[in-house]
Amino acid sequence: MINVENLHKSFGQLEVLKGVSNHINEKEVVVVIGPSGSGKSTFLRCLNGLETPTKGKIEIAGIELTHSKTKLHELRKNVGMVFQQFNLFKHLTIMDNITIGPRKVLKRSKEESEALARELLKKVGLSGKEESYPDELSGGQQQRVAIARALAMKPKVMLFDEPTSALDPEMVGEVLQVMKDLAREGMTMVVVTHEMGFAREVGDRVIFMDGGYIVEEGTPEEIFTAAKEERTKNFLSKIL
Amino acid sequence: MDVILEGLKLTIEFSIVTIILEVIFGLIFALMRLSKLSVLRGISTVYVEIFRSTPLLVQLFFIVLGLPAVLPVNDWFGQTTYPLVAAAVTIGLNEGAYVTEIIRAGILGVDRGQKEAAQSIGMTGFQTMRYIILPQAFKRMIPPLVNQAAQTIKDTSLLAPVGVIEMVYMAQTVISATYKAFQIWTVVAILYFIIIFTVSKVAAYLERRFQVDKR
Repeated sequence: MINVENLHKSFGQLEVLKGVSNHINEKEVVVVIGPSGSGKSTFLRCLNGLETPTKGKIEIAGIELTHSKTKLHELRKNVGMVFQQFNLFKHLTIMDNITIGPRKVLKRSKEESEALARELLKKVGLSGKEESYPDELSGGQQQRVAIARALAMKPKVMLFDEPTSALDPEMVGEVLQVMKDLAREGMTMVVVTHEMGFAREVGDRVIFMDGGYIVEEGTPEEIFTAAKEERTKNFLSKIL
Repeated sequence: MDVILEGLKLTIEFSIVTIILEVIFGLIFALMRLSKLSVLRGISTVYVEIFRSTPLLVQLFFIVLGLPAVLPVNDWFGQTTYPLVAAAVTIGLNEGAYVTEIIRAGILGVDRGQKEAAQSIGMTGFQTMRYIILPQAFKRMIPPLVNQAAQTIKDTSLLAPVGVIEMVYMAQTVISATYKAFQIWTVVAILYFIIIFTVSKVAAYLERRFQVDKR
């Protein structure tokens, strides 16, 4: 589903990704962990072209992202993204936030898009909030709307960039629950997070990144109980 | 008095046309200013700097009265139409330079995450601007744009010296016939005050409505 080869990314003099390669299968849930500045968010943002790689190759669902002729906006229809800061469209109602993609990008009818939006709102537990504006919702609710907005495009892959890091502790659970449901339905997911419980429970594979490299990867079991690398053990001992 | 009111009508008509022009110019040059292409950015910067760094009155003399001396513009547009078109375009370009900066600041003021979110659902650059960035930027731009509109109405008084007929021109005509300078200029000042005061009040109302409906 996703194939990454020798990915490099620099911001000016600073090299954030120093050659990352990985393959992510369909329906796989991959959790990326690592200290701040390890390059994990940059890696994720490269996957939908929000950052342009300096070097290397990314292929998603058979389309080469790093090919100069690839239209990024075409590719992004297949790749949903959920941000740390939710980034809901502040000037639009919840309904419009979810339907604007299907309507303007996929050119679906208003009726069809709204029916889909209602279905998705029900799924994330927010029926009845259609006419609210983002500012009227709590952080956890906004993040669930953001997930619904991404799902409305019927993506093949969902990327989560620290989706619970900006939330009050009591709201983390509701967002993780939606993500777990999604994983169970067989969505291909790449999740950057500090929620080790989620990684353990839902992840098929855990990738540990540090200093711009993938240091170690394996099943949650392998990483959390039998990490081989010193850096991984060190990180986990601080965080668990 | 009728003559002054006739002038007032021309002033208002002229202001409406120029305000529309300046917003169009402002939008075009602001988008150029924010473009990825350095050529477009350059053109826009040069435009803004030229029009902000020379007096409007000089620009009016230059384009309305100066250009016909070297180019057959009167033949292209007609003897009577050229000064009107040129005057409208000149004021539009001049105020447009300020509007460019207002729109640019408004667009840059929208949180970066909004653009990224729009891109992440597959919107093109144009769609992102049209549906996500501009509607949010517009709200912050209302107060400075209204100021600019008020400025435009005042600046149309500079048309009299280049021979375009509006309220000030009419007032001068009446004064030269009646010698009632004090009374006439009082009336003119009051009329300007009424239009501009009304414009700001309507805008303040619009701004409040926007806040309530679309938080």
